Amino acid sequence: MTKTLTRRDFLKLGGSAIGAVALGEFIPPLVAKAARANGQLDASDSGYISSMCEMCVWRCGLLAKVKSGRVVKLEGNPDHPHSKGKLCPRGQAGLMNTYDPDRVLTPLVRVGNRGEGLFRKASWDEALNIVAKNMQDIKQKYGPEAMIFSSTHNLSQPLFENLLQAYGSPNYGTQRSLCFNAMTVSNLITYGMEEPERDYSQLKYIILTGRNLAEAISNSETGELIHAIDRGVKLVYLDPRFTKTAAKAAEWLPIRPGTDLAFHLAMLNVIIGEGLYNASFVSQYTVGFDEVAASVGQYTPEWAARITEIPADTIRRIAREFAAAAPYSLAHNGWRTSNFVNSFQTERAITILNALVGNWGTTMFPVGTGTGGMGTPPQPAYPRVSAQRLDGVPWKYPFVPLQYGVFQQLRDSIVDEKPYAAHGWLISRQNPAMSIPDRRKTLEAFGKMDFIVTTDIIMNDTSWFSDVVLPEASYLERYDPLSMVGDPLSAVGSRAFLRQPVIEPQGEGKSAMWIYKQLGTRLGLGDFFQYKDEEDYIAQQLAPLGVSLNEVRSRGYVNLPASHQDIYKWTTSSGKIELKSTALDKAGFDGVPKWDEPPAPKSGQFYLLTGKGARQTQFGTQNNQLLHKYDDEPGLWMNAKTAASQGLKDGDKVEVTSDVGKIYVKLQATQAIRPDCVYLQPGFGHLSKGLTTAYGLGSSSSDLHVTYTDPISGGQALSQTFVTVRKA
Amino acid sequence: MGASMTDIKNIQHKAFLFDATRCIDCRACMISCSVENNIPMNKTRIWVAGVGLKGEYPNLERASMVYHCMHCVAPDCLSACPVGAYSKRPDGPVLYDPDKCIGCRYCMNACPFGVPHFDYDKGLIQGAFIDKCTMCPQRIDIGQEPACVATCPTDALMFGERADLLKEAHARIQAHPDRYIDHVYGETENGGTSYLILSHVPFGELGLPDVGSTPVKVVSEEVMDITIPFALTWGAILTGVTIGVHAYNQKKEAAEKKLVDADSPAEETK
Repeated sequence: MTKTLTRRDFLKLGGSAIGAVALGEFIPPLVAKAARANGQLDASDSGYISSMCEMCVWRCGLLAKVKSGRVVKLEGNPDHPHSKGKLCPRGQAGLMNTYDPDRVLTPLVRVGNRGEGLFRKASWDEALNIVAKNMQDIKQKYGPEAMIFSSTHNLSQPLFENLLQAYGSPNYGTQRSLCFNAMTVSNLITYGMEEPERDYSQLKYIILTGRNLAEAISNSETGELIHAIDRGVKLVYLDPRFTKTAAKAAEWLPIRPGTDLAFHLAMLNVIIGEGLYNASFVSQYTVGFDEVAASVGQYTPEWAARITEIPADTIRRIAREFAAAAPYSLAHNGWRTSNFVNSFQTERAITILNALVGNWGTTMFPVGTGTGGMGTPPQPAYPRVSAQRLDGVPWKYPFVPLQYGVFQQLRDSIVDEKPYAAHGWLISRQNPAMSIPDRRKTLEAFGKMDFIVTTDIIMNDTSWFSDVVLPEASYLERYDPLSMVGDPLSAVGSRAFLRQPVIEPQGEGKSAMWIYKQLGTRLGLGDFFQYKDEEDYIAQQLAPLGVSLNEVRSRGYVNLPASHQDIYKWTTSSGKIELKSTALDKAGFDGVPKWDEPPAPKSGQFYLLTGKGARQTQFGTQNNQLLHKYDDEPGLWMNAKTAASQGLKDGDKVEVTSDVGKIYVKLQATQAIRPDCVYLQPGFGHLSKGLTTAYGLGSSSSDLHVTYTDPISGGQALSQTFVTVRKA
Repeated sequence: MGASMTDIKNIQHKAFLFDATRCIDCRACMISCSVENNIPMNKTRIWVAGVGLKGEYPNLERASMVYHCMHCVAPDCLSACPVGAYSKRPDGPVLYDPDKCIGCRYCMNACPFGVPHFDYDKGLIQGAFIDKCTMCPQRIDIGQEPACVATCPTDALMFGERADLLKEAHARIQAHPDRYIDHVYGETENGGTSYLILSHVPFGELGLPDVGSTPVKVVSEEVMDITIPFALTWGAILTGVTIGVHAYNQKKEAAEKKLVDADSPAEETK
């Protein structure tokens, strides 16, 4: 066989040839007892327990095979629409997160200097008291706004936000502005919802604008795309890289970075100019058609060809094909759309494109909303917050929803101490040391803090710089609240699936539900956490439905009452799809998308592109040995011809320099990228020596990324960093 | 001869169908296999093969394949093994018994697909020199799909009755003749394998060897079958030749002696 993963590829771990699952040897009294009671485990504690994956945010259902208290295998839950019986590589490797030899097993308190990595073990009681005392002191001395709270998408997030609001801080950091703000804010303005559901069942034609579904895997959607292609659906794929998605496309268009907006404006130009739009849909369900038509008249395919480097005839043909396939076509709105300062308007053009040809009720549907009839524990009203937010929402970024925030601006305000100084930071299941652009500056922000506390299952890079580390139970070891239907990532028909422990926690790991309640109680905010334990919280959620927790534990989900949803109703101010946004207009932004030329690299510079590989999720999975086992070595992609012209060859160690940083990395000369771009997979280059598998692997794109914020959506422009590359 | 073409197509046992047009090279199958079979971190039973990227920017193609033991209908490893460590279950799996193995590595040389791998970390005392895919009997015996197949997010891997999968494979080719190479690799290769492959690029580019439809096993067995008659016949011929040559030499010697006697009478007298 020619190019195989050779034996060498499996020696990366050197002496640590541990069997994948030959770890952990204790009997789990509580979990096993409960699982036996509801028929999931037999008398010898073996069988399958239903729960939910947390290796990314797609939230697949899983079935954990348990033998004598150990997870030995994970399978996709066939009942769950996001897994359909399958798990992606990350989901399959999930048990290695739980059995990671680098797990933090007890609370830790820093004894050395920050970043030195010296900690001592502490009891939960001591650690929680230290955290509560520091949080109280900060509140008394500087006000609650001096305390920063940050966390990333997860099922316990409602309780984290509860702690934030009960404490009274307006300062909340999420990953959203580093990810999908452009897409969701654009959808909110156009459709009044974060992300309409996509349906591939009747699809005939799809345009993916940088949505690399074959590598940035969303399990069920990736499967649906491949099956659609199998049926003969045409895929047009725009990306400066020939990704594994490009390899499946009927047409790959290596568009110039930052010009997706020009491509879509020209699509609108052709569809309107040639009368290819769905006139009855447009007149019945949309507002602002005339303004859009007047605005896009100038954006001919010939104009766009000069900007995008895609031939005018190709754009014209694709526009005609797309309209001909409507209403069964789809211009996918992407996911991590934080690319350029014009990404918001790019997203707007895509939403308008779908609306013009009437792809609604066929390939796009509204997401469900509401609580699904579930309850929540009672609690008092939150204290009024009067302080300004440090992240500029809404005073600098009026269109960014409070729950999204602008994380990179929050970091900058901490460094500048403007409009005021922050003194404490509570971080849950998040790694800003890796994720926010310009890492040097993020470490500077840590330096501004009197106190930092992190909860995670491993010693991530942010924990490494923390004063207290609280060990969380992994997703296989804990409960999370049942999620409400309104959460777009949980809108899986009329069922709410349960994450429940399938084994006992390693060491002293505790659930976020327990940790937040403990902290809340110690902060004198116990009234906001009126549940005895995790099971009591979920039982209170289930109470109005008349279903017992035990039933849900054994089935894995609860059926929610059917709710009628009007497909042709949008929660915008006009109640229709807003092709033109009056709100944007009033705020001085373009109410209909107009071309906005983003900066381009100078001669000798390259666009620095980043994007997921199939075996890692952002910044949290690189220490997973099973993923590491079958992953490719992270390197800097450069077009092979360009590399040759610069005297560089495959495997060379190169120095990559941006305006804010410098990294050293191995060069990967490839045909699969535009000559004016380089690409680096994010998530490598960890700082924490507590990550023994990931430490020393690759380099971090966050060391290079320059902070640029899209003024409308607050999205960080991650592809707007330009670098020079030379032999190291 | 071995099984005829018709026989190969109707073999009654389980098989895999791999479709390269559906594979996104995510490697969920590889991780699933590692966990299911408790494979150490520096070992594997399943590989990615193929040329990967082909062409020059911007005219590019990509093709890759995952593969493991092909579970041949007539396994060469089994036939090459001098101690009977290999067996073929009637329903498909080719199995290896570490207790019988003496570590001679004949199976590694015999397999045309390079599947059995030698474990250099284990010595004579520990046994189990060779490792390879088992078709997950622990799963298929209770009605589950093998670990690699069950998790495949794009259904690039499927599992079922070999005859059904062949039908499915040909139906896909027929539905999209522009998309596929018009051949199901493994249908006849090496006497038929239980890992059937559909591809949009020539099979050689996936790293598959160009083997005939007659398995090495059959060739070698046919040779073995005629060895004794061949040896006896050849022996008889050689014996005959020897006898003939000997007789001829004796005659010749006798004749020469006469000549010598006639030519050198003086010598005789000296």
